[in-house]
Amino acid sequence: MTPMNALLRYQAALLARSQRWLPPFILYAVFLAVGVQSGQPVLDSLGYAAAALLPVAAWLVRICVTNEPPAARSCVSAAVGPGRAHLAALLVALAAAAALGTVATVVVTLISNPAGADLQTRVPRLPAGAAGLLAALACALLGTAVGALTSWPLLRSTGRAVPTMLLAALLSVVVTGSPAHAAVSGLVTGSRSGTVPLPLLPLAAAALLTAAATAVACALTSRRSP
Amino acid sequence: MQRDLRLDNVGRRYGIRGPWVLRGVHLTVPPGTLIRIDGPNGTGKSTLLRLLARIDAPSEGRVTGRPRTAYVPERFPTALPFTALGYLTHLGTVHGLSRPAATRAALEWLDRFGAASYARTPMAQLSKGSSQKVAVVQALLAEPELLVLDEAWTGLDADARAELERAVAERTAGGTAVVFVDHDPSRLAGAPDATYTVRDTGLDRRTEPAPSNPTGPHVIVVVQGPRAAQLPTDVPRTVASVEELTPGTHRLTVPASHSDVVLRTLLTARPSWHVVSVSQERPAQPETESRR
Repeated sequence: MTPMNALLRYQAALLARSQRWLPPFILYAVFLAVGVQSGQPVLDSLGYAAAALLPVAAWLVRICVTNEPPAARSCVSAAVGPGRAHLAALLVALAAAAALGTVATVVVTLISNPAGADLQTRVPRLPAGAAGLLAALACALLGTAVGALTSWPLLRSTGRAVPTMLLAALLSVVVTGSPAHAAVSGLVTGSRSGTVPLPLLPLAAAALLTAAATAVACALTSRRSP
Repeated sequence: MQRDLRLDNVGRRYGIRGPWVLRGVHLTVPPGTLIRIDGPNGTGKSTLLRLLARIDAPSEGRVTGRPRTAYVPERFPTALPFTALGYLTHLGTVHGLSRPAATRAALEWLDRFGAASYARTPMAQLSKGSSQKVAVVQALLAEPELLVLDEAWTGLDADARAELERAVAERTAGGTAVVFVDHDPSRLAGAPDATYTVRDTGLDRRTEPAPSNPTGPHVIVVVQGPRAAQLPTDVPRTVASVEELTPGTHRLTVPASHSDVVLRTLLTARPSWHVVSVSQERPAQPETESRR
């Protein structure tokens, strides 16, 4: 087994067994239960599901990064390098958020009304679901970036990190120019016009931003105190 | 490929304006060497070990060489949601072993440290000493090229302490470089190739010759070689003193931790040596084991 695979399995097992993933998963389910009802226009509901995934992804990153006691992290860092150890934690958080977003997208696509916002124009389920999935991935990626930039090694004190993370997650959804905002508003305007958008550009932009944020966080792991 | 780990004019401080913890440190760690780092509490020994294990990057200077490294921290947490064996299997694969090999090595090493019975105990239920054994096993199971021990002996019982000394002797004989910090001055007494002291953010090599009456337990081994044979090259490096009783018969004083390694070298040499006797030598002063 290559060390990176082994690291990902280790981090995934840490997350799964710690059960700290439960609160964000439950919060996301509550978000969806409140905001999504069956029979609503599919693209609107998918936009809502994608937007709500962003803070959940950031929270999952925070869990994965703080899950391992510092002494245990040092053992792993000595074996594979601190940057790679941190990368594995971020990737596992991203994978968990992406999996959650995929499940939510499938469920929302199936229970929603395959129609535009006027409830007249037909919006086919399959392309709508695909667009929703891309938007969800863009939000999972951007949420991972927010989480990576607002937890160790960049911000160490929980008192500052958590409010910063929540504010950054909120801004990433609502500020024009953010890839997550572009992906979500693309779905909403698509619902009004009755056309299915393909948010490939926002996804690519989110991937780039997340890669940069991940690189910064991983590079700093060996420079900050634990 | 260069396996020597080297620190070149290395300094480390925490924060951009923090005081220097270490500065101007030069240190080379060639394969197979045993290095002891001394110094009072809070002088930067742990910082130095973290730089050597490449967990931390230096604030200035350069670290070169990237041996496969294992690290044992001073205190090991039990807040991990695994059984001891589950955690060790994960860490074995992270160190590059296959899953079956990692499980096998973990069970073997847990057994050596008298911890086989806790293999399937959740980490959260382990005592401090038992979780320290897990930390030690984690570092040994994949036969690293560099082993960094930050007071790894603290919290271990007497048998496990002796076993860890023997494991260090075995690993250095197998080519692993070992760097350690320990409060007990008799730890691996007579065995280190070099001892350094961290002093005023710098690193001094202790230059005074090893005490002729070494502290710590020693073993007397009398061996007889093939006619006119020299002792195998690894042996004089490990032993505290050699005395030729009659031509071909040598009396070796060996640190107790290294007796197995010396005997193995002599018995597997070609042509092999004959072991005449092995006996225990007690040091004059009592052992300083009874602290804490």
